[in-house]
Amino acid sequence: GQEFQFGPCQVEGVVLQELWEAFQAMKDIVQAQDNITSVQLLRKEVLQNVSEAESCYLIHALLEFYLNTVFKNYHHKAVEFRILKSFSTLANNFIVIMSKLQPSQEKEMFSVRESARRRFLLFQRAFKQLDREAAVTKAFGEVDILLTWMENFYQ
Amino acid sequence: HFAEDTSDLLQHVKFQSSNFENILTWDSRPESGPDTVYSVQYKTYGETEWQAKEGCQRITRKSCNLTMETGNLTDFYYARVTAIDVGGRSATKMTDRFSSLQHTIIKPPDVTCIPKVRSIQMIVHPTYTPIHTGNGHRLTLEDIFQDLFYHLDLHINHTYQMHLGGKQREFEFFGLTPDTEFLGTIVSLVPTWSKKSIPYMYRAKTLPDQTWT
Repeated sequence: GQEFQFGPCQVEGVVLQELWEAFQAMKDIVQAQDNITSVQLLRKEVLQNVSEAESCYLIHALLEFYLNTVFKNYHHKAVEFRILKSFSTLANNFIVIMSKLQPSQEKEMFSVRESARRRFLLFQRAFKQLDREAAVTKAFGEVDILLTWMENFYQ
Repeated sequence: HFAEDTSDLLQHVKFQSSNFENILTWDSRPESGPDTVYSVQYKTYGETEWQAKEGCQRITRKSCNLTMETGNLTDFYYARVTAIDVGGRSATKMTDRFSSLQHTIIKPPDVTCIPKVRSIQMIVHPTYTPIHTGNGHRLTLEDIFQDLFYHLDLHINHTYQMHLGGKQREFEFFGLTPDTEFLGTIVSLVPTWSKKSIPYMYRAKTLPDQTWT
């Protein structure tokens, strides 16, 4: 079957197509709530030209943020918009991916880790510059940008 | 002061995309009058400025080709239309966030069918898109969708079908009866994006067997 290969980090047992189908089922509802069209959180400087070695650190940081901040604070809206099933499918798959990521903590990887951290901080800073609820809505609406990037590591 | 109802001027502003040709379309209700003019703007998601689309300012038709303006595969876009009627009433409506990778539908593949005595050969031609690389090279669907493959059916009779499939471009159905007509279909599939093309339908007749028995 297919698997994710984020540099040294391998993740099996997750079907990317299912994540896409879950997000597509809620995309229009979710993105319609985001009327700040002049800000993209997951912009090019965050996701473009990420090296294989960086990718494990970056996906780990992003998924951790999504689970602990975005999903956690969007849950009540998922109930309100009746998209809980798709929302849960996405969240559960992100949890599975997170649980299987083992980013190396070795000293030699310090510069790579720092590079990934700087990318993540770009995203987090943009998130913090927005009103909290607007930021959560925008970040959740950008899951398709995240999935498009993750696809580069799906084999 | 009640806000004037202008919903009749403008409806269903959306992108329609096939093989990465991205057309903005919209509607209006009949009562909005034939002399309403429309102006189109577009922008990349994340940018502040809206750009006026040249050639789609104060037009009366209800579509505008934004293929060149929305050609970056990793970008997301918005477009909006402003309608103004002869009475000076106006309305502006915006599309949903648009990504050609996600939204484009795939047209039927371009196929050449070569009937022989006991087989039918099918050659699928590359499908070029309007998307260019930095050095001007025009991309095909196969370039863009790495996992694109073809699925072919040949209907032998009411109960029996032959199937072929794969990423290659040449296929051949063997073991057929000479001088017989067959119907079939070919579709393009992209699993990771859950895309399936409209089928290419074909009718082919095997050649008569001229050999002396």
